[in-house]
Amino acid sequence: MSHDAPPRWLEKLLLQCLPVRNRESISGDLLEEYRQVQVPRLGPMRANLWYLRQLISFLVAGTFGGSNMRASLTWISVLTALAGVWLAVMEHLLKHPGYAARSAIAAYIVIQGLATVLFLVWHGHPILRFLVQAGAVSVVVLGASAIIRIVNAAHFEGFVLIIGAALIVQGLMALVVVSGARPPNAIAA
Amino acid sequence: MADLLGAFEQAVLLAIWNLAGQAYGRAILRGTQAALDRQAAAGAVYATLDRLEQKGLVTSRVETGTPVRSGRARRYYQLTAVGVKALNESKSALEQMWRGAKWPLESPA
Repeated sequence: MSHDAPPRWLEKLLLQCLPVRNRESISGDLLEEYRQVQVPRLGPMRANLWYLRQLISFLVAGTFGGSNMRASLTWISVLTALAGVWLAVMEHLLKHPGYAARSAIAAYIVIQGLATVLFLVWHGHPILRFLVQAGAVSVVVLGASAIIRIVNAAHFEGFVLIIGAALIVQGLMALVVVSGARPPNAIAA
Repeated sequence: MADLLGAFEQAVLLAIWNLAGQAYGRAILRGTQAALDRQAAAGAVYATLDRLEQKGLVTSRVETGTPVRSGRARRYYQLTAVGVKALNESKSALEQMWRGAKWPLESPA
């Protein structure tokens, strides 16, 4: 692995979080800092962690600044995937009746979250695009049905409501972003 | 008087001012961190630059990149007259606000 540049997947993910206008200049600034300061000072491994921290700061800025729907979608997809992992682990630990089916649903949530992030990073492979679109519709339905079920249930479970709402938002945003998707970079060297 | 600038916006604008023509993203980030005497997230600085440009307080131009950045362009920022005025007004407002107060303030007993 070359230590001359951050991992390509990290760079591609970063480009997703940046407005098109600033992709070249900001990624160039970070590459310059990475090569001239961070690698000599920290070594390649910790320099990569530094780069990851910068990426997260752009995710946060893009999400809460409201200027970049791709950043928001990346963020929410990562969160729903993590929520899916947590659900699956809990189902396996608790093993309540019907846990196998719920584990499968949790796995599906993880896969859809990761597929969306993959689409945003590698962009536009037609099969991946179709899968993300179809998955987006399904997670909207899944989220809505979870919310309806929890509202009518005897025991209210807040985390189901939150995850259901997150899935609806993720699905709707994915449909908007995928339908207007553009290549993330013309500059990744 | 225009809306007052936040402390972070002032730090970014002052960094651009101090860099006098050499203000590109990475240098502004360092200048902002020096002005605030703490680490500032790169994402926050670039988002602020975007917002300041939309407000007309700064302008930017793109120049060719160097080999160390794989030829990727650099975006240089510069204060506009409106930006300089906003900075001056922010400092005046702060001074006006503190006029008459004995500094440092003492905690109530």
